[in-house]
Amino acid sequence: MIDPHIASAFDRDLEAIQAMLMKMGGLVEASILNGAEALERRDLEMAEAVRAGDKAIDRLEEQVNEEATRVIALRAPTASDLRTVMTVIKISANLERCGDYAKNMAKRTTVLAETPPVGSASVSIRKLAREVQMMLKDALDSYIQRDADLAQQVIERDEDVDQLYNALFRELLTHMMEDPRNITPCMHLHFVAKNCERMGDHVTSIAEQVIYLVTGEMPDDARNKQDETPFMTDEG
Amino acid sequence: MNDMRIIQRTAGMNDIKIHAKGVDVFYGDNHAIKDVSVDIEDKTVTAFIGPSGCGKSTFLRCLNRMNDTIDICRVTGDIRLDDEDIYDKAVDPVQLRAKVGMVFQKPNPFPKSIYDNVAYGPRIHGLARNKADLDEIVEKSLRRGAIWDEVKDRLDAPGTGLSGGQQQRLCIARAVATAPEVLLMDEPCSALDPIATAQVEELIDELRQNYSVVIVTHSMQQAARVSQKTAFFHLGDLVEYGETGKIFTNPDDSRTESYITGRIG
Repeated sequence: MIDPHIASAFDRDLEAIQAMLMKMGGLVEASILNGAEALERRDLEMAEAVRAGDKAIDRLEEQVNEEATRVIALRAPTASDLRTVMTVIKISANLERCGDYAKNMAKRTTVLAETPPVGSASVSIRKLAREVQMMLKDALDSYIQRDADLAQQVIERDEDVDQLYNALFRELLTHMMEDPRNITPCMHLHFVAKNCERMGDHVTSIAEQVIYLVTGEMPDDARNKQDETPFMTDEG
Repeated sequence: MNDMRIIQRTAGMNDIKIHAKGVDVFYGDNHAIKDVSVDIEDKTVTAFIGPSGCGKSTFLRCLNRMNDTIDICRVTGDIRLDDEDIYDKAVDPVQLRAKVGMVFQKPNPFPKSIYDNVAYGPRIHGLARNKADLDEIVEKSLRRGAIWDEVKDRLDAPGTGLSGGQQQRLCIARAVATAPEVLLMDEPCSALDPIATAQVEELIDELRQNYSVVIVTHSMQQAARVSQKTAFFHLGDLVEYGETGKIFTNPDDSRTESYITGRIG
C-alpha cells in the first residue's frame, strides 16, 4: 500500500470516510438479501425491517457526503487522495440508490403477500438478487483492495444479471398472457426484477469507479448491453 | 470548439520558448541538477515544484544566467531561448536578463521613487527616446503590474514605503518594464498575505497573455491555481513534467504522487 501522509489526521479522515462507505455497503448488501428472502417467503416482518433499515443507509450517505466535502475544503486533496474522495461521493450515491430499490422490493412484498404466488418467479428473483449482492460484495472488496482486475470482472458479470432479468421478463409475460388475474402480481414482480437489474447497473458503476480510483482513468468502453426487453413484443 | 471542459487546457498548444537539453549544474562538487531536459512553452505559466533543495530554484536561475554570479557554480548542457544558445560567449548576460526578467521571493524595490524603480531598466537599456516615452512605459508597466491605480498619485514616493504586496507588484512592474519575453518568479508570494497573493496570482494569469512565465513555488495549491504546466523536481532530477491538471489528479510517477499528496516519499 501507499505511504501514510505526513499529516496523520488526513489519513484518519480518509479512513473514517471509507469506513462509513463500507458500513453503508454492508447494510445495502443485507437489504438486498433480506428483501429478496422476504419476498420469496412472504415474510412481512422481514420486509418491514428492510423498509425501516433504508433510513440508516440514507443517513450514512449524508454523512459520507458531509465528511467528503469537509476533506475537500480543509485538506485540498490531490491525485489518488482526490480520486478517493470523488469516488467515495459517487459510490455512496450508487449505494443509496441500491438501498432505495431494496426498500421498494420490500414495499411491493406487502402487496404481493396478498396475491396468489405466480409460478416460481419469486424464486428466480431471489436468485437474481443474490447475484447482484455477490457482485456488490466483490465490487466493495475490489474497492478495499484497490483491485482493478476484480472490478473489471464485476463489470462483466452484469451480463449475467441482465440475462436473468430477460428470462424473468419472458416468464412474467407468459403468466400474464395465460391469466389476466396474474397481471397485478406480475406487474409488481416485474418492477422488483427491473429494480434488481438496475441495482446491477449501479454496482457496475461502483466497479467503474474502482477502476478510475486505481488507474486514474475511466474504463473506456461500457460493455454491450444484454437487456433485450426494450425491443420485446408479446410474441417474445 | 469541441472541447467544452471548464478549464481551458491550452498547455501543449503553444510554441516552445525555451529549450533546455541535458542540463547539469554543479556547485563545487555538489551535483545540483542532473541531466534535466525541458521545453518551456510560450504564453504559458510553468510551475516548478519540489521539496527544498531539489534544484528547482537553481534550474530557474539557469534560465537567465543568474548562476553566473556564483563563482563555484558550473552549468553544462544546452539552453536555448528561441533557438539561441543563451550560454554562447556572444550573449551578453545583461541583455539576456532584459529579455528574461526575474521576480524574487522578497520584494526588493530600489531605494528610489516608485517612478524610478520602473524607469530604471528602460533607462539603462535605452528603451525610451524621451521623457514622454519613458512616462508611457512606466504607466504601462505599472498597469501591467496591476498597481497603477494605487500609486498613480504618488509616483515620486519611495517604493519602499509601499505595503509588501504592493512592493511585489511594483517589482513585477519593474520586471515587465524592459519588455521581457520570459518572466521568472522565484517564490513571488511567499512573503505576501492571501489577498496580495491572490492579486499577484491574478496578475500572473494576465501576464500569460504576453509572456512565458516560469514560477517556483512551495505552495502546491498555488502551482495548481496559476500554472498550465508543472514540473516536479526531486534531488536534482526532473521527475515529471506535464499538464498541471494531470499532475494533480493522476501523476505518472510515484514520487510525484507522494510529494503532492503530502506523503513521506
